[in-house]
Amino acid sequence: MADLRITGLHKYYGSVHAVRGVDLEIPAGEFAVLVGQSGCGKSTLLRTIAGLEDADAGTIQIAGAVVNDEAPRNRDIAMVFQNYALYPYMTVYDNIAFGLRARKTPAAEIDAKVKQAARTLAIAHLLERFPRQLSGGQLQRVAIGRAIVRNARLYLFDEPLSNLDAQLRDEMRGEIKRLHQELGRTMIYVTHDQIEAMTMADRIVLLRDGRIEQQGTPLDLYEKPATRYVAGFLGSPAMNFVDAELAFADDGAQVRVPDGPVLGLPAARVQRLVGRPAGPVVLGLRPEHVGHASADASRPGVARHVAAIELVQPTGARSYATFRLGAAAVVAELHAHDVSQPGERVELAIDMNRAVLIDPSTDRVIP
Amino acid sequence: MKIRARRRLALVLRTGAAVALTLAFLFPIYWLFMISFKTPDEIFAYPPKWWPGQINFANYAVLFKDGDATTVWNSLVIAGVSTLVSMFLGSLAAYSLARFRTGGEHLANWIISQRMVPPIAIVFPIFLLYVWLGWVDTYVGLILLYSAFNLPYVIWMMRGFILDIPPALEEAALVDGYTRWQVLWKVVFPMCRAGLFATAIFTFVFAWNEFLFALVLTRTEVATYTVQVTHYFGGQSNFWAKISAMSVLGTLPVFVVVAFMQRYLVRGISLGAVKG
Amino acid sequence: MSQRPGALAGSDGAAVAPPTRRGVRTRGFRLALVAPAIFVLLLVGVFPLVYLIVVSFQNITMTDVDTGFQGLLNYRLLATDGRLWEALLHTLIFIAIALPVELIFGLAMAQLFIERIPGRAVFVALLVLPVLVSPIVAGANWSLMFDNRFGPINQIIGWLAGQETALLWTIRPTLVYPAILVAEIWQWTPFMFLLLLAALSGVDRSQLEAAAIDGASWWRTFRKIVLPAIWPVIAVAVLIRGLDLFRLFDIVWALTRGGPGTMTETISIFTYVKGFQQFETSYTAAVALLIIVLLSAAVFWALKRVELAR
Repeated sequence: MADLRITGLHKYYGSVHAVRGVDLEIPAGEFAVLVGQSGCGKSTLLRTIAGLEDADAGTIQIAGAVVNDEAPRNRDIAMVFQNYALYPYMTVYDNIAFGLRARKTPAAEIDAKVKQAARTLAIAHLLERFPRQLSGGQLQRVAIGRAIVRNARLYLFDEPLSNLDAQLRDEMRGEIKRLHQELGRTMIYVTHDQIEAMTMADRIVLLRDGRIEQQGTPLDLYEKPATRYVAGFLGSPAMNFVDAELAFADDGAQVRVPDGPVLGLPAARVQRLVGRPAGPVVLGLRPEHVGHASADASRPGVARHVAAIELVQPTGARSYATFRLGAAAVVAELHAHDVSQPGERVELAIDMNRAVLIDPSTDRVIP
Repeated sequence: MKIRARRRLALVLRTGAAVALTLAFLFPIYWLFMISFKTPDEIFAYPPKWWPGQINFANYAVLFKDGDATTVWNSLVIAGVSTLVSMFLGSLAAYSLARFRTGGEHLANWIISQRMVPPIAIVFPIFLLYVWLGWVDTYVGLILLYSAFNLPYVIWMMRGFILDIPPALEEAALVDGYTRWQVLWKVVFPMCRAGLFATAIFTFVFAWNEFLFALVLTRTEVATYTVQVTHYFGGQSNFWAKISAMSVLGTLPVFVVVAFMQRYLVRGISLGAVKG
Repeated sequence: MSQRPGALAGSDGAAVAPPTRRGVRTRGFRLALVAPAIFVLLLVGVFPLVYLIVVSFQNITMTDVDTGFQGLLNYRLLATDGRLWEALLHTLIFIAIALPVELIFGLAMAQLFIERIPGRAVFVALLVLPVLVSPIVAGANWSLMFDNRFGPINQIIGWLAGQETALLWTIRPTLVYPAILVAEIWQWTPFMFLLLLAALSGVDRSQLEAAAIDGASWWRTFRKIVLPAIWPVIAVAVLIRGLDLFRLFDIVWALTRGGPGTMTETISIFTYVKGFQQFETSYTAAVALLIIVLLSAAVFWALKRVELAR
């Protein structure tokens, strides 16, 4: 049985239609990430699942039971808030124990559970401190501690890492993932950060304007995006988009870049395009699919192109070099030592096997 | 003059001005206290002396002996209970208005408008109502009236303080398993403790110092000290000794309470005004 | 099942309309919170109003209890009652003088204390004391101070003038207004002072520092930076004090009882006398309604101006 099933959910915030008909099913034990830009409805969706907001239409089922009319406390959920929501006048111990005390758990049991959770999160030495004495990372652990100590069915995370600095975020990402492996509970995690989504999710649910744009495993969404939006959302640096023309010739199909090269498509690809008329198309290229030509000794489907490098952005092992395909600026991923100066002309290999073709009239990826 | 020396001079001047101002403002209060410790001869000495020969408690003894001092007790009961009532009802209502915007603009505006009502306008109908109910010169009557009169202020102030509390704290408690009533007591009120104190102090002081309602609605049983003071003003002469002693009895408790709660008070005033 | 069919349909959201009611789950709770307070307020707020309206159209006096509808009898009397309008005038005089003085004086004091002074907290705490005193006690206090023979004020004036003074501050027509005003200003300037001190401390320091570097004079800085920043607080303070001054009763009562004659009779004292000494019930009701209407109009006008200014 799915731990969470949502059908036809609608939610208004005042006059804003924040959630427009969402259908979602999360099986037990899965780590699902709701990701999208601010305003896409992900937080609203999470809060509606929690019961902090009432749905305007649709059903929410937790462990098979419809919970639309239930108060949050009866939904068997635990939640970690963005701003930690810790009680400033209580010690860390009391903060973690707070929820257990609400359910009249005996003191001995509370003590055992709190200490266990504290050990799991490496905060056992902070139990007698007050929130104001803790750092951001420690506060976040306490907030997580308060959630896991409850042994709930569903764990909800509302952008818990947004308030942490980059390094801490990296650390905590791994911790939360490890926690999920240890506990095996169903977790629903909201974030706007696509890196968090990619690294942590069993299933990514990408939301846009209150609707699910696409959902699936991270790799699914990364390699087989359904729309331009999904293609451009995941991956850093983002996918390059070039306006071009799809043309057919006797020996196959080509992508013609205005004022630029003609890129041939591999045979397997051409086969899938049977029945499609020629016309405008958007070419999507991920930076990692555009590399130094010398590294690739002529594979089928790899087009070669010489261009001048306009901008170089080193990041350590790799450097991102910007060049022009026709009039469009494209970012390529090169080895750090393969590129030196802007202005240099290099021969690039564009892997058309992995390129994505998008229909500009529907913004959908051509399969 | 060099800038450093100029700054120092300015500091000295400002401190001097501060001292002078404080002395000027406190002088009448000093005079009041001082008179209460004088003997009748000293009070009516001419020209008036600025300090008593010795600290003399006779005036106070008279008040206690005559039973006039019970009016201070009446004030305490009335102001104290009405403060508790209005703080309790007002804070609950303030939470409803703050978190749920109950009643929307209309309710909020109506409550504010109640605060603007001049006492003189309603004192007459209230008086007749109380006569009919038999509430004139009773604790209940005045307590209820003060509670009602202070409610708008309490609601207005507490609403501001509650809005300052991050909703996530309450939401966390709701998810953790508390009912809404429990959230109120365990999370909200502890969080706005400072605001509660500040508002309570103001409410208490207002009720304690009130005159018009007390004048009209009390007779002999529950007269408050403010009413009692005016009894000492005669057509021909005023009982200065009694006036000053009773005034001190009525003023000292407020000074003491405020002295202890001082830090809450400043926060209360500034928040009330600056937030608007 | 709690699916809500009918009005809300279509998974694309196009046919779904926004709901017009709030969460049902919390309705009982939030109404229960508000109900007792509203009940008490209604009791004390609505009943007197209704009573006043009804009675003002009747003719209940000290001698007569005529509950028949009298039309605008009382209101016509009201319009021609010289003493009433004089009382209003007296009240306006008090407001017109006390309010600006309290404001300017309070602002000056706040300005004095805004920069560091050793022991500032102590000074502020002491300066607040006049506000905590009951207005009746303040009036009694100044009665003492102004006493013609035993009051220090006359004594001090005597020192300055070089001869013995025994001014009758609470009786002499030319002195009663100054006396009342001194007492009132003494008591409430600290209130303004506290409010404005809080407001001044909220002014953006970096703006002031920028102005200092730019070379702006103190007055220019005050006018262009400080004043606009504290304007909302000033507006609120003026509104509150203005309202309180309109209702002026206690201090005047303690000092002069509205006398000599009716020279210092404020509108509140006038109403009290009419109601509780002359027992002109219906007429008093009309007067009370007049006061409410005037006050509401003034507040409404003031709030409109504040809204427009924003």
